Amino acid sequence: MNDLVPSTSPRDMTWARRKQALARVWRELRHDRAGFVSLVVLLGFGLVALSAPLIADRSLLLAAAGRNNPDLASPSAQFLLGTDDIGRDVLAQLVWGSRVSLFIGIFATVVAVVIGSVVGLVAGYVKGKVATVLLAIDEFFLVVPFLPLAIVLAVILGRSPVTLAIVIGITSWAGSARLVRAQVLTLSERAYVERARALGAGTWQIIFRHVLPGVTPLIIANATLIVPGAILTESTLSFLGFGDRLSPSWGKLLDGAQSSGSITLNAWWYYLPPGLCIIAVVLAFTLFGRALERIFDPRLAGR
Amino acid sequence: MPAVRGVDLEIAPGETLGLAGESGCGKSTLAMALLRLVPPSTQITGSIKLAGQDILTMKPGQLRAARWAQASVVFQGAQHVLNPVRRIGRQIDEAIEAHGSASVSRAGELLDLVGLGARRGDDYPHELSGGQKQRSLIAMALACDPLLLIADEPTTALDVMVQAQILQLLDNIKRERGLSMLFITHDLSVLSHTADRVAVMYAGRIIEVGAGDALLRNSLHPYSKALTASFPIIGDPSSRHQPRGLAGDPPDPNNLPSGCPFHPRCTVAIDECQSVDVQLRHAADDEERSVACVLVGKS
Amino acid sequence: MSNRYVVKKIVGALLTLFAVVIFNFFLFRIVDRDPLTKYRGRSKLSLEQRETMIRRMGLSGSKWDQFVAYIKSTLQLDFGRSFDSTRPVLREITDRLPATLILVGVSTVLTICIGLYIGAKAGWARGSRFDRVSTSTTMVLYATPEFFFGMLLLAIVAGRTGWFPTGGLRDVGTNNGFVASLLDRTHHLVLPSLTLTLGYLGSYSLIMRTSMLDTLGEDYLTTARAKGLKESDVMTHHAVPNALLPSVSAIAISFGFVIGGAITTETVFSYPGLGLATADAIRNTDLPMLQALFLVASAAVIFFNLVADLTYGLLDPRIRHSI
Repeated sequence: MNDLVPSTSPRDMTWARRKQALARVWRELRHDRAGFVSLVVLLGFGLVALSAPLIADRSLLLAAAGRNNPDLASPSAQFLLGTDDIGRDVLAQLVWGSRVSLFIGIFATVVAVVIGSVVGLVAGYVKGKVATVLLAIDEFFLVVPFLPLAIVLAVILGRSPVTLAIVIGITSWAGSARLVRAQVLTLSERAYVERARALGAGTWQIIFRHVLPGVTPLIIANATLIVPGAILTESTLSFLGFGDRLSPSWGKLLDGAQSSGSITLNAWWYYLPPGLCIIAVVLAFTLFGRALERIFDPRLAGR
Repeated sequence: MPAVRGVDLEIAPGETLGLAGESGCGKSTLAMALLRLVPPSTQITGSIKLAGQDILTMKPGQLRAARWAQASVVFQGAQHVLNPVRRIGRQIDEAIEAHGSASVSRAGELLDLVGLGARRGDDYPHELSGGQKQRSLIAMALACDPLLLIADEPTTALDVMVQAQILQLLDNIKRERGLSMLFITHDLSVLSHTADRVAVMYAGRIIEVGAGDALLRNSLHPYSKALTASFPIIGDPSSRHQPRGLAGDPPDPNNLPSGCPFHPRCTVAIDECQSVDVQLRHAADDEERSVACVLVGKS
Repeated sequence: MSNRYVVKKIVGALLTLFAVVIFNFFLFRIVDRDPLTKYRGRSKLSLEQRETMIRRMGLSGSKWDQFVAYIKSTLQLDFGRSFDSTRPVLREITDRLPATLILVGVSTVLTICIGLYIGAKAGWARGSRFDRVSTSTTMVLYATPEFFFGMLLLAIVAGRTGWFPTGGLRDVGTNNGFVASLLDRTHHLVLPSLTLTLGYLGSYSLIMRTSMLDTLGEDYLTTARAKGLKESDVMTHHAVPNALLPSVSAIAISFGFVIGGAITTETVFSYPGLGLATADAIRNTDLPMLQALFLVASAAVIFFNLVADLTYGLLDPRIRHSI
């Protein structure tokens, strides 16, 4: 390490080290073609989602907006992606839909990662009876098929986007918990944790200030690989009837396309765009997540 | 970067050549290269002749036929060199089948020969102890009646008692079948009674070759001297009180010193050593010995 | 295989199933509202009839009474009556089970065979054109929601060309003869099973490829080559059997996704199996159906995990002998 910050504060040194680590990640990411391209794609989608109000007015999503327009009209100058079965602008729904799909996907991942990490950290560090119970619960959530569980939870808890995100999060945390726990088990054997223990640090302190930073890269890489699953799950749930037709996600668009028979009527502008968007975003997150994995764990390089 | 350079060795029928050196000096790479078992991206130059045929120019089919039948290998680290989900007997059989003939009881015979018993053929590798695994590797290596047996650290990681048994076994086999052996090890004490001739490797080069006993008792190259001095000699109590180690580490293959690779650690290095990389040449008073040192063979 | 191992796994599976049953109970009692809200024809019930129904559904009395009643009725396979059709739930399920079994069965077999083969070849010939093409393709497959495949297949194959039917189990009126009926059902099965196969081909192939890559660095492969074996034999007899082991575990874990895929695929193709029943139950908030379907789906996954565990024991002698 050649830029040692000339400051004696341990906190300053820690932050300097973290900044260096971040810089290294960024450098390696730039060289990883698949990872870099997917990051660009994701940022592109994010940009579109954020600037939705600038592209199309929100009122275009209302049922009333379609009344004076032809139903299932093919793309034209006025409607770049045609209209849906009640005459609404498909492009507007697609753009606003990106907000809902991305929001639910990311929020669900946050929920899953938070639950999974806490469970993994505690089970890995504390061990003993607590760990056994937590692991049993984790095993349970791994075995129960996620979609039926998500369906049941969604029916019971409600269909708003936030609820859906929480439901998806609940069905997705089990895998992360296992990964985090395995990593924590390895880390807690390390010298610096023993030293902290010997110096009298409390359990929670050790977990959050010493173990957590070591596990964080793994959590981040894993999170980017959970997002694709969450987005796919959301699209499936919306397709099956959850979600809001007046504030549709990409999955909801596909549901609308399916139930209005647009497939047999050949209205490709209705079902192709949302499907392709889902594929693009999921693929981008997956490739980005794999790139991160490769950067954080050099042993995986060459996959 | 060359891992191994300028090696010129011969093994006569029925002879055991010991190949000694520290970890990382290139011994295993050399052994693997003999049957072209190194990664495809590795380049091998020169010639490797087994029973008159050059291994390096063989076509894939010929190479496969030559492998195991001309020369076989008892690999290092018995733990990982056996397929964990296949029975021992099957793994021996498949070597025989790959070379044409298939005899029903051959695996059993071989296992008997090495002292394991034919019934062990039904076991899986994880059911055997370290010493038993080593014996099964030897049985497997004999499956196609090779001319040359390459034993890569066959006794490392074994208990001393088991070591002795394995060495005895190898000795018996060698004598019964007139096998040639290339015995690779970093443990010189093992070579002192197994090897007819010994070659010492350093940084990918052979730096001394000669008759086994003579070389071990009286090494000529500074490195060999230091290596043999580190091992106490049984029967010579004074040697126990003066173990002499060697300062420094073996050089990084990507960054070899100029001239003789040993000169940075050599206690008797002269100016010439930095610039001249000596080839093996006969020692002055001993036709059998060759040494790659400026100071040897001068007179 | 060691008896202890088998017994241990079966007991584990039963315990998990029991946990699911209990979980199921609490799940549906989270929300306290009039349980008959969605029952069709509820307006025609007298007060007495209402109370009888509620009692029959096990929703009266203290929580403990309810729990006991629930366990009893579950063991008797009495899941109440569907809110939507008012027929017994068990009947609805048994009616549709065969169709789904065939669909999922055929698809799973295809996915495993094709996926493992592609993954093994791609991993073995890492970096080759086959690897690059198949890995990119499988990654795109993996990113696609399986029902989208269904929609695309419908649009391209069924809609335009009419080669395949757009839905259903069979054409009405084709009941003449076993062979004709069989052909007809197979005809209807093609697109849905193709959809389900494509949906999970990607993930199984990637799992096997990763597993194969891990196996490439093993020493026993060098031993096999040293013995004079052909490369293809090294791959078939040494690499693949070892690469299968972690694949089996990973595939078992992902079986839950196939169940989910069945639900959406049957919806797209109006295929009258348990999946379509689930989709209908969602739209009608048919609680008894949902509860029972959840139990069936979980039982299926638990069973499949058990099969996978036992298969793993068959494949890996180290596991067989240790427990």
